[in-house]
Amino acid sequence: MDEKAVMKELPAVRKLVYGNLMETYLPFPVDMKASSRWAVEADVPRNTDTIIFTSHMYQMGSMFKNYEKYIPLFTKLGGSKMIASVGSRLIKTDKSEAERSTRILKNIYSMLLKSGIKCGYLYEDEPYSGSLLLELGFVDEFMEYGRKLLSLFKSRGVKNIYTVDPHTTNSLTNLKKMIGFDIKSTPYLNAISGTNGSGKFVLHDSCLYSRFLGMYDDVRLVAKNAGIELLEDPDVTGKSTSFCCGGPIGPVNAEISSKVASLRVKQLNTVSDTILVVCPLCYENLSEFGNVKDIAEVMA
Amino acid sequence: MNWTDVADLVIKGNNREVEHVLKNYPYIPAIAEDLRKKKLQVLEDLPRYIQETMKNVEKLGGHAYLARDADEARKIIGKIVSTKKTVVFSKSNVAYEIGLREFLQETGNDAWETDLGEYLVQLQNGWPAHIVAPAIDLTREDAATLVSRIDKNITKDSKIEDIVAAVRKFLMDKYIKADVGITGANAVAADSGSIALVENEGNIRIDSVLPQTHISVTGIDKIVPTLPDALNEIYVQSAYAGLFPPTYINITSGPSSTGDIELKRVSPATGPKDFHLVLIDNGRLNASRDEKIKEALLCIKCGRCYLACPVYRAIGKEWISTKSPYGGPTGVMWNYITNNDPWPASFCMHSGGCSEVCPMKIDIPTVIREIKSRGNRTLS
Repeated sequence: MDEKAVMKELPAVRKLVYGNLMETYLPFPVDMKASSRWAVEADVPRNTDTIIFTSHMYQMGSMFKNYEKYIPLFTKLGGSKMIASVGSRLIKTDKSEAERSTRILKNIYSMLLKSGIKCGYLYEDEPYSGSLLLELGFVDEFMEYGRKLLSLFKSRGVKNIYTVDPHTTNSLTNLKKMIGFDIKSTPYLNAISGTNGSGKFVLHDSCLYSRFLGMYDDVRLVAKNAGIELLEDPDVTGKSTSFCCGGPIGPVNAEISSKVASLRVKQLNTVSDTILVVCPLCYENLSEFGNVKDIAEVMA
Repeated sequence: MNWTDVADLVIKGNNREVEHVLKNYPYIPAIAEDLRKKKLQVLEDLPRYIQETMKNVEKLGGHAYLARDADEARKIIGKIVSTKKTVVFSKSNVAYEIGLREFLQETGNDAWETDLGEYLVQLQNGWPAHIVAPAIDLTREDAATLVSRIDKNITKDSKIEDIVAAVRKFLMDKYIKADVGITGANAVAADSGSIALVENEGNIRIDSVLPQTHISVTGIDKIVPTLPDALNEIYVQSAYAGLFPPTYINITSGPSSTGDIELKRVSPATGPKDFHLVLIDNGRLNASRDEKIKEALLCIKCGRCYLACPVYRAIGKEWISTKSPYGGPTGVMWNYITNNDPWPASFCMHSGGCSEVCPMKIDIPTVIREIKSRGNRTLS
């Protein structure tokens, strides 16, 4: 493998992501108005001690992938903040993607409300979880940013967090162990009830939910209770046999990331043509090769 | 068939075999759990167990050595083998780790791998693609092309049976001439100084008995407290490799011996006159003292984690096995331990299947994340 390229790229990625996070709570420039549109439309309250923490994951899903394409350029130019801000002008979420993420987040919020959970949102103050640092192995930087994140939540009086994606959930779980992050957090999938859904799918498990956070059965139960039919094949959807969408390796090697995504879709399509995911990054990676829906698009 | 198709077939096959084995031999998971405890016990005081092992090898009339690194190991073994000898190797990843075959060839010996897959890798002048099945990436046609170099009757259209027969014929000649047999060890029992080896082909049995000198080269991580623990390691390794019961289990305790006259144990008898156990450190002792890495030393090299890993499925041996015999997720850990090289860890996408299938319950993703993090700390 081209490890030399990785050794050149990683410092630039660190400089860019960590630098931006410590300054702005975001890995790269994000249009905060667009990111919080869903909350405006759903009239989500501010200043509550229970919040929904999107970590911008649905809103930025496609941007993560687009930024990966520019990593070699950032590396050449040194990964400065200026370059990142140029990048933000080049890299935008397109209208249909923005509408999709707005729909999904409004629906997640509505499912929480329906389940008797009232929560607010931090709007323009909403931070990113830092998961990219953790997943790329910048553990020291992740912990440092985690302390900043904890401080932010405490300064806003946050006592209870509902997460919407596996990467954020995993980050907060790790921060609990690493720095004593002591704010309760719950994945929304473990909090909702009384939902209705439809369709027949093969589920592509999130690696983090199923193999790191112990939610392999929980996700299936949520889908089943909503009336969604999941098709299983022990060689494809088993806890130990299913595998990654390729997303996490994107910033290191886009080619392998794409190859893994394509292999995974090929495998999933032996079970069903329609794939269900529970993670915005899985959606981004797999939808290039197949027909993919997020679970929050098929139940309410 | 391309690599990803081959990998897919192998993975499905292995999953079914392991499932079948665990269903039919339900005592295996309990043995694995006990083995983990025993191996952790050794890691708590590895220097003492090394001493105990070496003392017991000597007691049986064998010779024991501890090599700090690859260079020292090659020197020790080079001195035993000397030059102009015929040497037969059974599949040993530690021998690969220290570049032993090439070293012995360069010092004027005729050295041959006798495991079929490893023999093909030798003909290919390449690296093993998998720790248990080294030639997993070769098709029948690839194997035929390689074997046609030593047997003109083999063509691209030859059947697998004919390819295997040609290799068997070639190796039989080497076995008869062999002065030295070099094996690894799946486990080493500290309490008896015995080594345990598992195989299916029968080559290890010949390599360890027919030549008059038997050298076992293995890592200090293979030491377990007792002989029953060593057998347990064999059972667990073969079960999770999907080949259970294994065709052959070999236990060697010193050189050949007999007690037939007045019940006095004397050596040699019919088999080897000399037995040498060369234990290799090469980073393992440091790893045993490193709380964040030491779990990696529990690996029994069943190779299951390779098959559960999306990176290995996508790129196979190109990931790590062009510079180390250890590939896949365990290879990330072992390449770090033995080569102090953290960079393959950057390609881990923390899919987590590796720890799901690991019989030793090693938290592989967490160890790999630590290695990733250590590599990143060195970046400016």
